[in-house]
Amino acid sequence: MNMNKISLAMLPIIAVLATGCGGDDGSNGAAGAAGAPGVDGTNGTDGTNGTNGTNGTNGTNGNLAVFTVQLTNLTYSQPFSPAAIILHEPGYNAFIDGEAASPGLELLAEGGNPADLIAEALAATQYLDAVATDGATPPRSIGATSTLLVPLLDVDDLRISFTTMLVDTNDAFTGLNAADISNMAVGQSVSFMSPTWDSGTEANTETASTMPGPAAGAAGGGGASAGFDAARDDLFDRVHFHSGVVTNANADDASKEGLSTSVLTEADRWDNPTARIVITRTR
Amino acid sequence: MKLFKAASAIALACSSSALMAQTIDIQITNLTHAQHFTPRLVVAHDNTVDAFEPGVEATSALAWLAEAGVIDDAQNADSSGQNFEALLGPTDTDNTTNTWHRFGGLVPPSMSVSYPFDTMDKPYLSILSMLIPTNDAFVGLDSIKIPTTPGTYTYMLHAYDAGTELNDELNSTRTDIVEQGGTPLGGYGAPGVAGVGASPVPLGVGGTGVAVKVGFAEDGTAIGANEVVDGTDGPVHIHRNVLGDTSLTDGASDLQSTEHRWLNPVARVTITIPAL
Repeated sequence: MNMNKISLAMLPIIAVLATGCGGDDGSNGAAGAAGAPGVDGTNGTDGTNGTNGTNGTNGTNGNLAVFTVQLTNLTYSQPFSPAAIILHEPGYNAFIDGEAASPGLELLAEGGNPADLIAEALAATQYLDAVATDGATPPRSIGATSTLLVPLLDVDDLRISFTTMLVDTNDAFTGLNAADISNMAVGQSVSFMSPTWDSGTEANTETASTMPGPAAGAAGGGGASAGFDAARDDLFDRVHFHSGVVTNANADDASKEGLSTSVLTEADRWDNPTARIVITRTR
Repeated sequence: MKLFKAASAIALACSSSALMAQTIDIQITNLTHAQHFTPRLVVAHDNTVDAFEPGVEATSALAWLAEAGVIDDAQNADSSGQNFEALLGPTDTDNTTNTWHRFGGLVPPSMSVSYPFDTMDKPYLSILSMLIPTNDAFVGLDSIKIPTTPGTYTYMLHAYDAGTELNDELNSTRTDIVEQGGTPLGGYGAPGVAGVGASPVPLGVGGTGVAVKVGFAEDGTAIGANEVVDGTDGPVHIHRNVLGDTSLTDGASDLQSTEHRWLNPVARVTITIPAL
C-alpha cells in the first residue's frame, strides 16, 4: 500500500521533466507552457482485521495415573512406623532441612503417627493424593505396596514426599523430601535410597520414657504416649541429618563412650541409607 | 542487508560477553547436629588442580585447612608458603588454572549461607571446609563439572579425614598434656581437636585419647605420661566419624558422643546457574 502511494505522488514530477525536455529549440518559437501538476492519487483503503481464532477446548480431566510405592527397611533392628506417603505438585514440603519441623512432622518423628502430617498436606494447595501405610515395617524387610492416584494432567510436574519414623529413636525419620518423579512412563520404576533425618524436636536421650518402639517397651516404657512430647528440647529446633544413636555400648568401661541412660544397644545402630523406596507408575 | 548484518553482529557480541566471567550462586547447608564449618575455600579450576583426592596423601595446604581451618596468610601468617594461597595463587584473581575465594565466618549446624562466586570460566568447582571440633575432618566437594545450562543443581557432601593427624579427640586447650617432646596441643602439626570455642556443645577435659592414648606411642610403647603423639592416618579417606564419650571430665574422649557425631552426608551444596 505504501509503495503505491509513493509512486502515485511521483507521477507529476516525471510529467514536468518530460514536458521540459521538448522546449529548448529557439527557431521553433517560444517554449510551451509547463503542464499543470497532476493530482495526487487517492490512498488505498486499509484491509479489514482478521477475526480472532476460537479458543481451544479444555482437555478432559477424568483420567488418572496410578503409582505404587514400596518401602524396604534397610536397617538391622529399627522398625519403621506407619508412613505418610504424599504425592503433590512443587511448592509443598513435608519438611525443610534447617527449618523447624511442623507439628505434624513432630508427631510422626517422635510418636510414629502420620495422621497430622497427612492432614497438613491435605490443606496444601499442591496436594494431590496421600496414603498412610497400615502398620510398621520390620527391620530387614520389604514393606507392603501402597497405591496412589493423581490426575493425568499432573504427571508432568510431580513430587513425592515420604516420611516414616525409626521407632527405636527419639525423633529420627527417613524418607523422601519432595523427590521429583515427573514424566514417568507407564511401567517405569524409580528407586531412591534415603538418608536419616532428626526432626530436631526432642533431645536424643534414648530413654524408655521418650521413645515409642519395642526397645523402650522391653525396658518398661514405649508406646505412643512415650513418644510424643510437644516440648522441643533438642540442641536446635531445626530439622537436620541424624548423627546416629549412641546406645549403652561401652557406657560403663573407662572410655565412657556409651550413654548409660540409653535403653538401646549396639544392635540399634544404623548407617545411611536406611530406606529404599521404589515408585512404579502402573497406569 | 547491512542493517541485518549489524544486528546479528550485536547479537553475537551479547552472547559472547555472557559466556565470560560467569557469576554463579553457591549455597552451603550444614546438615550436622553439632559440628561447625570453618571458612570455606571455594575454587573454580581446570583439570590440573585437585584440592584433595581420596587415596592420595594430603598436601600441606590440605593439612592446614583440615587441622586448623586455615586457607591463606591473612588467617595465619605461620601458614605462609604452605597453605592453599601458596598452592593456588592470589585470591579473586584469574590464576589461569584456577580462581578462588575464602568465604569467612562459621556455618553453624542446621544453617545455610549463600554466596555469589565468579568462576572466571573455569570448568570445575571444589569446596573445602573443616569440621570443628575435630582433629582433621573436612567436608569436601570434589571437582564437580560446573553445569552450563541455567538451573539449580544439588550435591550432597561427605566428611573426609585428611589423614594428617591421629584422631585423639583431645581438647587442644588442655595444658595438662603436651605433644611428645613438649609442644603445646592445637593447630597445625600438633595433636588435639581444633575449634573448641565454636561449638554450642562444651568440650570436656581429662580424656585419655581415642585413636591414640595419652602416654603411649602408636605401637603401644610407653612415652612420657603427659605426652601424646601427633601421628598420621592417611591418605585422605572418608572419615569414620568421631567416637566421643559422655563425660566432661574423664573417659576416652573430650568430645561428646551424644552431640558431636555425624553420619554422611554432612552438607548440601546448591549451585544456581543464572539464565544468560
